[in-house]
Amino acid sequence: MIVGKQKSLEEIWDMVEDYQKVLVFGCNTCVAICHEGGNKEAEILGSLLRIKAKQENRDMEIKTGGIERQCEHEYLDQASEAVEEADVVLSLACGAGVQFLGEKFPHKTVLPGLNTTFIGVVDAPGEFSERCQMCGECILHLTGGICPIARCSKSLMNGPCGGSNNGSCEINPDIPCAWQLIHERLEAQGRGHLIDVFIPPKNWITSRAGGPRNQKREDVAT
Amino acid sequence: MQYLKTLLVKVDIDPERLEMYNLSAAMGPKWMEICTEFTERIKKLGPSPIWWAEHDHKKKESD
Repeated sequence: MIVGKQKSLEEIWDMVEDYQKVLVFGCNTCVAICHEGGNKEAEILGSLLRIKAKQENRDMEIKTGGIERQCEHEYLDQASEAVEEADVVLSLACGAGVQFLGEKFPHKTVLPGLNTTFIGVVDAPGEFSERCQMCGECILHLTGGICPIARCSKSLMNGPCGGSNNGSCEINPDIPCAWQLIHERLEAQGRGHLIDVFIPPKNWITSRAGGPRNQKREDVAT
Repeated sequence: MQYLKTLLVKVDIDPERLEMYNLSAAMGPKWMEICTEFTERIKKLGPSPIWWAEHDHKKKESD
């Protein structure tokens, strides 16, 4: 899922303080799981902004709302009434949602209330960590299901490097060495021979190096 | 409750203004004790920043 972190109240206030009708708009899928941008978080942030507006003596009307996903036309259609009534929309979606909302309502100012941080997993309640960098060419079949692009600090294709120390990365001892994990996983699966297979330099054309990416499935596209 | 207190700090409201107690309907004397203590606490803290903001706003309007 996409993980995000809500911007500080000060930063958000600086963005919205000059508007009169503000809609704080949640996205109730990925960023709701990390408790930062869901519809519930939109309500909480709306309450804080109302208190802030009162303290700053600003005559603002702050409404809250949300949909399941701000990255799909079908859901955004449901939002049109609330969006049209507002002077500005503070979206708590990821960067994709903020942009798609802005594309759907180009005459409205849409502001980001969240910093999109990474694609990751829920390690434990309230704890999230990165797993995928969307490189566009998955090699998890060669690395025991552990991604060296996302989880090795140096994104090495063949490792570990000399900085691996007792299972930790030299960048930060709290980061496990991805290549140590790969070794251990492959050995445990009886596929330890794969560690000797040289992985050639990656063709990054499938990643961001090839510019913004598009994908089309002909049998579904209209 | 801890999370709510951190939210209050963000809008300059003393988190001491918020507390939660778990009591059964049969705990009247304890309820009275908590109410008395909490009322004293709030009196010591004085009016909230929201009250002051509204007060200042009304004062400016009347001036």
